[in-house]
Amino acid sequence: MRSNLIYIIFAVAALMAAILLAICLAETVPDAGGRAHAEIAGLQVGGDGTARLQYIGPLAFLFQCLLLTQIALLSLLGVAERYRTNELLTYMGGTLAITLFIAWKMFSGHSAFLDTGETAYFMGFPTATAWQTYGTWLGAIPLILIYSFGFNKFIYTKEDEEKFNALLAEKTNKLSEAENSDRAT
Amino acid sequence: MEAFRQEIIIGAVVGYMIFCVLTGLWAMRRTHNSSDFFIAGRGLGPIVVSLALFSSTLSGFGFVGGPGLVYSIGVSSFWMVVISSCGYALGFYLVAKRIRMIAELRDCISLPDIVAARYGSEAVRFMIAITIVLGVMGYLATQILAMAVVMQAILSGTEAFANVGLVTCVVISSAVLIFYCVTGGIIASVYTDVVQGSIMIVAGTLILFTAMNVFDGGMQEATSIILADDYETVMPYGAAGIMASLGWFFVFGLGLAGQPHLITKMMMNKNIRDNRSILPMSLFGYVMAALLWISIGIVMRAAVIDGVVDPLALPDDAASVFLSVFTNPLLAGIVFAGLFAAIMSTSDAFLNIGTAAIIHDIPKAIRGKSIENELFWARVVTVLLAIVAASFALYSHFRDATLVALLGAFGWGTFAASIFPVVAVGLNWKGATVAGAVTAIGTALTINFGSQLAGITFPYGVSGQLVAFVSSMVLFIGVSLVTKKPVLDNDIKLMMDI
Repeated sequence: MRSNLIYIIFAVAALMAAILLAICLAETVPDAGGRAHAEIAGLQVGGDGTARLQYIGPLAFLFQCLLLTQIALLSLLGVAERYRTNELLTYMGGTLAITLFIAWKMFSGHSAFLDTGETAYFMGFPTATAWQTYGTWLGAIPLILIYSFGFNKFIYTKEDEEKFNALLAEKTNKLSEAENSDRAT
Repeated sequence: MEAFRQEIIIGAVVGYMIFCVLTGLWAMRRTHNSSDFFIAGRGLGPIVVSLALFSSTLSGFGFVGGPGLVYSIGVSSFWMVVISSCGYALGFYLVAKRIRMIAELRDCISLPDIVAARYGSEAVRFMIAITIVLGVMGYLATQILAMAVVMQAILSGTEAFANVGLVTCVVISSAVLIFYCVTGGIIASVYTDVVQGSIMIVAGTLILFTAMNVFDGGMQEATSIILADDYETVMPYGAAGIMASLGWFFVFGLGLAGQPHLITKMMMNKNIRDNRSILPMSLFGYVMAALLWISIGIVMRAAVIDGVVDPLALPDDAASVFLSVFTNPLLAGIVFAGLFAAIMSTSDAFLNIGTAAIIHDIPKAIRGKSIENELFWARVVTVLLAIVAASFALYSHFRDATLVALLGAFGWGTFAASIFPVVAVGLNWKGATVAGAVTAIGTALTINFGSQLAGITFPYGVSGQLVAFVSSMVLFIGVSLVTKKPVLDNDIKLMMDI
């Protein structure tokens, strides 16, 4: 996991490409991407939600889950290999679990509405949409917190700063050596 | 106060433009060389970078096209906004630290400089520079046109300027933009961004409260009206359906880390450690400003369905009609100034990176060195680029919209598909090769351009941009894995270990 991360990222990306292909080849339904409103120009409507998900619903949800997984994996890729500790993996795993839970609440809430035609509301939106709007927004906040509060531990430690300063010093030395030799010649 | 609505709005916009001009004059005294002009000498503080970053993210599209999209397709377009927390997080995890380190290590002043240093390849530099120039032309033309159309709408509401022409509006708005970009370069750009960002935060917050009070039952009443008319519009995937929504999730979420005008700003902070505060501050600003996007669109759709407001001539009229019907003149003035701020903050960023690509990167890629007296030529090319883009915008408006639409395809999605793998993944994986980078960029451009030219559509609302992005990711890693492992320069190798 720690050193073979790129292979996992590649596998997830390839799987997403395969799902996308399967969706494009799936049997189509009318107005899957919406249609014009019958009375008001400029508005689009979705129409029959059950029909739109009939052939691709599970595939699309899997695509969404893989995308969320990819976001967590790519975030991990941005952390130097030696800092991908069990602690960080736990934080990232927890974040992924939260985002997958939110995606599931959104998808299952939508399906439940399609079955019953009834919905509760939360902060102005139907419950499934509230999971989408507030949940998706807030679901990635742990990633922000890990970055900001874990900056000195996982992203850029004192040791990293010293290494980088040493690189800059080496660059400065090389430049002054080059200038001196230019002057000498 | 209502009797002076137009005068108040014009006053706010004129006041804002005067501020931009004064900032340009101030910044000119601080711009001594091309490093100052393009990356502010890597000397900016965290608040300035945060506001510049988020205000460049939210262009005029966020203030005009965004509410229009919500009005037209409902919750589908929320996905472009709610992924911002993922997008900003990825941008910082993958790009912020490394791009800042390479910039200092190799004295880079542009994104193509960064990729040339990382891959040791002038071919990759050239391809990224060309992608940027094509994207900048399309983006700038649409931004300048949007600015002129809004200005014409404001001025034509007064007696004195009732017959003002679009060309005049293009000239006035472009002149202000060119003036502060030419005189002060990126320093003027980022300091105007600070005010632009602040205006956008205030506008977004005030609009949310106004929108919540349009219906007695608040936002819930608005969404209930929409649900009764067509439930899918206000369900999680909206009228455009699940794959269109997830496509935006992918392209806008991952793609933020591939936007050249944004990640270039990550090279400008004074201290690498500032990134820990820049990330949450940028996200906060974006979320507050984007409230306008969601709230106006929902309320306007409900108001039209409910018969409170007549159907709009165009979905993009949602914001302007909302402002004229539901807000008091002072708030309308702030929001219109915010709209100009949003357009200008994105335009100045594009002018800057486009100019860098033309005078610095393309010559370097072709003849191995950049041109003499870069600062002088940077100013000249900034003027020329803006004039070409403005002419292009007018031509497309009056004669033929095809070309701008085509270059418009080189927008967010193309930048995301061609730049994200090469920069965001490539800066964090030593195994990334030149062949992988060239293949990814080539594939992204071909699919985006090709599907636009041939008018290819995919089923279930799958977009060409999504297909391009997924393909370029797979090919970038796949081709890199099967080609010979690259030999990196020692300083780059050591930097990538940090």
